[in-house]
Amino acid sequence: MTATGGGDVHDWGPLVGDLKARRDRALAMGGQERVERQHSLGKLTVRERLDLLLDPGTWVEYAMLADHMDAGLGDRYLAADGVVTGVGEIDGRPVAVGAYDFTVMAGSMGQVGERKMARLRELSIRQRIPFVWLLDSAGARIQSTSGSTFAGAGALFREQVAMSGVVPMVAAMLGHCAAGTAYIPALADFVPMVKGTSSMALGGRHLVKAAVGEDVTEEEMGGSAVHTKISGVADLEVADDKECLEIVRKYLSFFPSHNQEPPPVRERGDPVDRRVEELYDIVPTAPRRAYDMRKVVTALVDDADVLWIKPEWAKNVVTGLARVGGQPVGIVGSQPMVLGGALDVNAADKVARFVWMCDAFGIPLVFLHDVPGFIVGSAVEKQGIIRHGAKMLFAVSEATVPKISVVMRKSYGAGYFVMNGMAYEADFIVAWPTAEIAVMGPDGAVNIIHRKTIEAVPEEERTQKRLELAEEIRQNIDPYIAAGHAQVDDVIDPAETRNAIWRGLEVSRAKRVERPWRKHGVLPV
Amino acid sequence: MAEIRAEITANVWQVVAEEGQMVAEGDEIVILESMKMEIPVVTEIPGVLRELHVEPEQVVQEGDLIAIIDET
Repeated sequence: MTATGGGDVHDWGPLVGDLKARRDRALAMGGQERVERQHSLGKLTVRERLDLLLDPGTWVEYAMLADHMDAGLGDRYLAADGVVTGVGEIDGRPVAVGAYDFTVMAGSMGQVGERKMARLRELSIRQRIPFVWLLDSAGARIQSTSGSTFAGAGALFREQVAMSGVVPMVAAMLGHCAAGTAYIPALADFVPMVKGTSSMALGGRHLVKAAVGEDVTEEEMGGSAVHTKISGVADLEVADDKECLEIVRKYLSFFPSHNQEPPPVRERGDPVDRRVEELYDIVPTAPRRAYDMRKVVTALVDDADVLWIKPEWAKNVVTGLARVGGQPVGIVGSQPMVLGGALDVNAADKVARFVWMCDAFGIPLVFLHDVPGFIVGSAVEKQGIIRHGAKMLFAVSEATVPKISVVMRKSYGAGYFVMNGMAYEADFIVAWPTAEIAVMGPDGAVNIIHRKTIEAVPEEERTQKRLELAEEIRQNIDPYIAAGHAQVDDVIDPAETRNAIWRGLEVSRAKRVERPWRKHGVLPV
Repeated sequence: MAEIRAEITANVWQVVAEEGQMVAEGDEIVILESMKMEIPVVTEIPGVLRELHVEPEQVVQEGDLIAIIDET
């Protein structure tokens, strides 16, 4: 008994007990039955996902004790209001994570949950740390928002746009996501999708049936096969939740926490002066023969380790994140295996976006040229190849990160420009002895330059004449002519390519580009 | 059964496989010529080459049928 009277004034037990019970209730998510259902679908729970994504013991949760607070939903309890938010570490660096919990009312976006997400976006931008969404959500909670109070909604996307290029943003697709939760990945930098259990679509299956009468499954409409192979909306298809979260960690390992910090350099194991003699076997000297550019990239980079971005879409060009001498680089390579490595609308789209992403976060770019040009003809004109090509040109021109080019074989016409030709502020541009740089190939040029000469000879001699004249033109397509005019910085032995890339990175480390002030360019899209 | 269609307007340069032949995933069926390059057209599934719709020197447009493979 104390002097103040009235019982024990240090009676913390029930209070702490009550708090613990509330925390335990939140940690139980949507309850055992729904957790079992989540597992039976081949998915992990939101808490298991956080454990795999983050360094152990680093998670600081925000608003675990949130509930829906919506009188319309009665007294049912919605753990964390369906979205777990907080900050944890990946490789010792803090990252904001917003993870929708499908076991709680299908992970639907409620008002309280979205307030949590808004606070997390604010923290991410104020503290300049990456934002990772783990998406497993049916979208808006229609039960709470079906009326015209929708008029005030939508700040989440505008804020996400403002974050773009300031902090890295990753949207991991771990469930069927519709509408709102499909726009989040659209505005993120990197979107891995789990095969079989994830999808994204502007309208879910039931809405689509009602609105347009189409009867399709989520998988058919917006599964990983659609978005990583056909639409190009997502970046990578992964086998399961575990692989997805590993890939998110790996992706972020190439990026700084924000755009005013350099990308993290790793200790260098693989020697930068390693001669890459495998390239003699991989790349044919016969100019029309195809080979797999992925093998070239793998041979060149540190420890043969590449994270391919959009590997199954627009396969005529390869894009990937890797390291050279420990320094993160973004690699853009022509892929002669597909469409001869010629550029089309999707390839231009893929590269433009990749270049913007690397440039935003200070990741140097390496271009491996073997490009016969942009595809020509009426089919691609109808697809808008000019504006898509212009978009790639725009992105490469704008990029102010160190830019290294290796002209391996073909580099023709605008293809040479958009792959970071000399005039595009290339910091080091080298050619292999097999390099062919010209406005167009000899077979095309001959018909333009010598059309009248060819028409003047009898018809049966024209093919022979054309071949002779093309050969004359071919004599002028020679890397030593470009080198002689100092229009490439060096001609190198293919085995010296890794070292040349490294030297290019070294000399351009302090690169600074200043351009006339403008609000922004007018982007061709 | 899977259809193999041209992905680009091109000349048919070589026909590598024959009708009735067994093919493995990744095998070349024909080689097109376009944009100064030989463009191998491969099957993505193993099976029997049931129908071949092109011959050398022919021009194919994007989307034209090249071959039909019966999956094994």
